[in-house]
Amino acid sequence: MTLTAQAPVELPLESTPSESPGPKGRRGLVMTLVLAVIALFWISPLALLVITAVRPLADFVGNGPLSWPDQLTWTNFKDAWGIGNFATTYKNSAILALIKVPLGVLVSAMLGFALAKLRMKFRRTVMFTVFLGLTIPIYITIVPVFIMMRSAGATDSIFGLIGPYLAFGIPFEVLVLQSFFRQLPDEIIEAARVDGAGDWRVFFTMILPLSVPALVTVAILDAVATWNEFLFALILLNSDAHKTIPVGLLNFQGQFANNNTGLAAGILIAVVPILIAYTLLQRWIVGGLTAGSLKG
Amino acid sequence: MATTATLVKPKRGGRWSPWLFAIPALAVYVGFLVYPALSSLWFSLTNWDGLSATYKFVGLDNYFKLPQDPVVVEAVRNNLIWTVVTIAVPTVIGLLLAIALNGKVHGKPILRLIFYTPAVLPLVSIASIWGWLYNPQYGAINSFLRMIGLDGLAQAWLGQDSTALWAVMVPAIWLRTGFPMLLYLAALQGIPNELYEAATVDGATKWQQFWHVTMPSLRPAHYIVLALSLIDSFKVFDMIYAMTYGGPGTSTQVMGTWMYFNVFQYYQAGYGTAIAVVITLVAIAVGIPYVRSQTREAS
Repeated sequence: MTLTAQAPVELPLESTPSESPGPKGRRGLVMTLVLAVIALFWISPLALLVITAVRPLADFVGNGPLSWPDQLTWTNFKDAWGIGNFATTYKNSAILALIKVPLGVLVSAMLGFALAKLRMKFRRTVMFTVFLGLTIPIYITIVPVFIMMRSAGATDSIFGLIGPYLAFGIPFEVLVLQSFFRQLPDEIIEAARVDGAGDWRVFFTMILPLSVPALVTVAILDAVATWNEFLFALILLNSDAHKTIPVGLLNFQGQFANNNTGLAAGILIAVVPILIAYTLLQRWIVGGLTAGSLKG
Repeated sequence: MATTATLVKPKRGGRWSPWLFAIPALAVYVGFLVYPALSSLWFSLTNWDGLSATYKFVGLDNYFKLPQDPVVVEAVRNNLIWTVVTIAVPTVIGLLLAIALNGKVHGKPILRLIFYTPAVLPLVSIASIWGWLYNPQYGAINSFLRMIGLDGLAQAWLGQDSTALWAVMVPAIWLRTGFPMLLYLAALQGIPNELYEAATVDGATKWQQFWHVTMPSLRPAHYIVLALSLIDSFKVFDMIYAMTYGGPGTSTQVMGTWMYFNVFQYYQAGYGTAIAVVITLVAIAVGIPYVRSQTREAS
């Protein structure tokens, strides 16, 4: 994997000078071993999933789940892909994320800019109201949202999900973005204003380009949340043609109850994109999570 | 006012301009979160079944019915157990991992990557994975117990009242340990080395250093971890729904799932929203100190 390639740009984890061999060095080695065992244990559900997904069902049943496979096969993935309707659910989840994430980041950045850098009336009230959204559980809204979507004819369509998804993403995105914008120096904005730049030009040509790291982090976290959302998708989508990955996976789980290897392959199909994205982009996720919350 | 503003900062838009930036997000937020949440307050005062065109205003009847509903009592109890366990255990494990990772350890990035991995997976897939591990016959957990000779312990973990809730909490712990670990790790790296050096000069043992230097320095991180975990734990729904469907019987029902069942299975939308209102009010009450601290920080 690409982990090692990313290590140098990590947070200053390795800041402590490396010790020469001695009692401390040996203790570091013991600790590494202990942690490696725990990590192995921690990741074992996923490792087991991979091993099960690549073996024939008869081999799994015959030798038990904890055995090493006698034979390797790809047919589980082929079966799971077809029966699990993954071509459709992938497409739906991808379209949804492609529309929702940029839109959500843009409107949140606009609000964050107004809160951080513009003299807005009722600023604190707006901020408090928006941040309060972090505490609201989705299920308090599902009955009215369901009614709204039904009367708008937007049930059973991924487009009906965009509004609720945006609304529940905004509090976190605004929280992180406004705190990032706040740290940008006022002087550069004032200088641009003296040159006659309006708020919009300041926003698009200065604030956004200077905030790329924060925008990317927020976009990634938002994409993960969108890809994984379950409750709204469960109540608003009915037909197989419109389901997203989490709802599709739940159906699939029921159909494959007795086919352990197929089930493992299906679960893997559903999580592999997230795992790859996470591995490649973990620097942004880690940095964003810790920076976003520790500032508070 | 308008003239001074133009004098100080020559720009178009004036005092309306901030609102043009704010309105798209605020409109969506109010339209799809604030308004539905408030109209749930209204539905909770009716006997609406979720289907009929008409319904009656029944005042607080739904709320009076709550304590008499044995499933609500069970759900509240389960929510409390869930909250305590899925906060305490991941926080302690996360802190221990962070301390270990902050020491002289090889391969930190990959270790950190592994411990945080469950947190990015869809909850439904975590439920699938663990449902599969718990399978009484072909699951890895029972197979492992049989392999090491503990056949007696192999059981239907998700299929019996006595173990189901605990069995669902294990993957929740698995999933929620990564976040405190990351946060504590970042906080530990922010503690200046001089503090430890000074403590060593004063003759403090490692244990004393932990309690008198490390723990006090982690106070902001403790606060964030607890606040966010508390808010998060009240929202529990996906995992229970996908793993046990509230069962066996009603033994793993929590307020979120019991609300869902009332609305979408038993056609008691009024009563169901009353359940949602109660837990939302608790979640808001618990979350307000955090929200206020974030607002204050920003002004």
